[in-house]
Amino acid sequence: MHKGVTMEFGLGQREEALLKEVREFAGREIPDSCIVNFLDEESRDEDWAFSLSVSKKLAEKGWLVMSWPKRYGGRDASPLEQIVFAMESAYWGIPGLSMGVSGTGWVGPSLMLYGNEEQRQKYLPAIASGSPDGVWCTGYSEPNSGSDFASIRTKAVRQGDEYIVNGQKVWTSCAHRARWCWLAAKTNSNDGKPQDGISLLIVDMKSPGITIKPLLNYSGEHIFNEVFFDNVHVPAVDLVGEENRGWYQLMKSLAYERHSFGGQSYGLGKRILSSLIKYAGETKRNGRLMANDPIVRHTLADMAVELETLKMFIYEIAWKLGEGTVPVYEASRNKSFADHLLEQLALAGTEILGACCQAGQYSKQTRLKGLIQRQYLMSPGTAIAAGTDEIEKNIIGKFKLGLPRSY
Amino acid sequence: MLRTMAREFLAGECPKSRIRELEKDVKGYDPGTWKRMAELGWMGLLLPEGYEGSGADLMDLVVLMEEMGRNILPGPFFSTVALAALPIMDFGSKDQQARYLPRIASGETVWTLAINEDLSDSGFTKVRTSVRPADVAYMLNGKKTFVPYANVADYMLVLARMRNGRALEKGLTLFIVNMKQPGIETAVIPTITGETLCQVKFKNVMIGVDDVLGKAGAAENIVSQLLDKAALLKCAEASGACQAILEMTIAYAKERQQFGKPIGTFQVIQHRLVDMLMQVEGLQYLVYQAAWLMSAGADCATQIAMAKVKANRVYQCVALDGIKIHGAIGFSMDHDIGLYYRRVLASRFLPYDTGYYMEKVAEGIGVRAAGRVQRLPSSAN
Repeated sequence: MHKGVTMEFGLGQREEALLKEVREFAGREIPDSCIVNFLDEESRDEDWAFSLSVSKKLAEKGWLVMSWPKRYGGRDASPLEQIVFAMESAYWGIPGLSMGVSGTGWVGPSLMLYGNEEQRQKYLPAIASGSPDGVWCTGYSEPNSGSDFASIRTKAVRQGDEYIVNGQKVWTSCAHRARWCWLAAKTNSNDGKPQDGISLLIVDMKSPGITIKPLLNYSGEHIFNEVFFDNVHVPAVDLVGEENRGWYQLMKSLAYERHSFGGQSYGLGKRILSSLIKYAGETKRNGRLMANDPIVRHTLADMAVELETLKMFIYEIAWKLGEGTVPVYEASRNKSFADHLLEQLALAGTEILGACCQAGQYSKQTRLKGLIQRQYLMSPGTAIAAGTDEIEKNIIGKFKLGLPRSY
Repeated sequence: MLRTMAREFLAGECPKSRIRELEKDVKGYDPGTWKRMAELGWMGLLLPEGYEGSGADLMDLVVLMEEMGRNILPGPFFSTVALAALPIMDFGSKDQQARYLPRIASGETVWTLAINEDLSDSGFTKVRTSVRPADVAYMLNGKKTFVPYANVADYMLVLARMRNGRALEKGLTLFIVNMKQPGIETAVIPTITGETLCQVKFKNVMIGVDDVLGKAGAAENIVSQLLDKAALLKCAEASGACQAILEMTIAYAKERQQFGKPIGTFQVIQHRLVDMLMQVEGLQYLVYQAAWLMSAGADCATQIAMAKVKANRVYQCVALDGIKIHGAIGFSMDHDIGLYYRRVLASRFLPYDTGYYMEKVAEGIGVRAAGRVQRLPSSAN
């Protein structure tokens, strides 16, 4: 290691071996036509079924929750292995990586952080083994509480050894596939500070009183839902951590929501860029190969520079985690940067594909198997999910630049 | 350690008031500072110990260049070390190394490199400056332009072609030219950047037969390698400058009050600063990665080109945004940020423009006419 420049940039044998294994797995298990963006696999029944079947195989490989400790079904993977896996699996379009994100992404890590041992024994194995019982959704956002999460109104009132839950959640991804809901609700509304009365509950999605209404996105895909809670009885043992301390517990585990730190975005971006480079080398427009058009060349070069930058940001986090440092603003930075880059890649793709970029995914006129269309459609959503760009930048302004709170 | 030392030394030796004075100085640098830099071993940092150097790693020089960019250090350090000493170390004969390197390390001689002629082309393939074999030597004729610090150089590497009768040979050759030779005319080109550039004319300048760097007629490869390393070091300098601009702008946003609160409270300002941060950190890591690869002896021409594209964009953008956040004071003579803003142009075109490096990136990532079947890269990494 160097005294002035602290980061190492190479991959070791372990990571190289993992890359090879992932490539072989993708070649064997994933049909060539499959380019699933990790957010939309829960929409169509056949995609979901296929994704879950892959989740099971990923679990057998020890990849589904590779960052978890061995005793909870993980393999104690190093941060570098995790990001390398995230990059490579996204590049090859492997579906089923997260079973709707919540369970593998933050429910598991949160239970390990502040759940009790019974909860861990009850819920973690299903997630780690890729079973349909390990599919979770997350109830945070409400109609009037988006970025301003602390203002939620869904109530959980303690009655004996139960909580009675009433309220409404919205933008709930995967609720229609989930076995459990990771729910944030108000357990105390008397307090002055809105952050102080929130608790985290585990809710059985089969409970009476729960109604799920699809909330289709603008391309007709069923990713989100509205979830209504009407006197839903939740056993008090399903409170996670301390009552009224949910907000603070959440802040601790929020970092896990951006759990791949941009690795998946990088892999997807690399797939898009590589596909566009290949396309430009094979396709003529106005009588010449697009690879010889300076505008196309510079657009692709620009994207490559930014993608390489994202890779540096991801390595930096892996390196810091490996050194035992907890990244604070870096996860926000990577999300903001990656989201913007994926938008730019989608738009560059529409320029390079030209009019064909509007063809439906399964139509004859579609190029690159609909990769660009999907990214065009998904980008605005991924850029909002798990923290809008504006919120991420507020976080960076506060925690990295030390600027005064702006809202 | 080196970073801290360099930062303290430069802050003491070259405060912004001194930089402003040097902008009006005929030499464009401070020979006293130069001498003290040599005493610290900076010119010889990468040179072998046998030639009075310290045999340090390229990463050390990257750190030093960052600090020079951060503080701004007017003068021929880059031209002497990056454009001459390192090429002599990498491609010179034992005799040349023994003759020239110790005097560079000691601060005795200032060097530069003369490549550019016709500025309508990026790159160095259209060189028309020529040498013809004379009795026991070569005779150099031609004109070079945008040569950094030629006005104070003792020696110069000059890129030229052999003349064979009336025809110019295809191959390029790098010559070591002693600036004391008769027939050399140097004129300073006025610039807006505060950095010194010159026009140099050669009329029947005699060059010894031993003063060919590398193999005669085969300099193309040498020049492209030396320019890669030089570009990387230029990026490091830009990266340091960007860090300085970002820091002064953050400090200003915290202290400047409007509407009864620091302007850094406003999200427009915060988000612009965050955008600047992401650019600056990105540049820094691209530079470190390229340096790390080069240090390890790996092929890194594409990574250097990426770093250079990034450096050109980021330095420009951060300087502009920095001024906007400062408001009117940022536009004034008294404020330091303008010193950086003007130097952006000196940095951006050394060695070549952004488009030149964009092309190198496009080549490097494989944007080219494909054969019948082309496959995707076998890995995301």
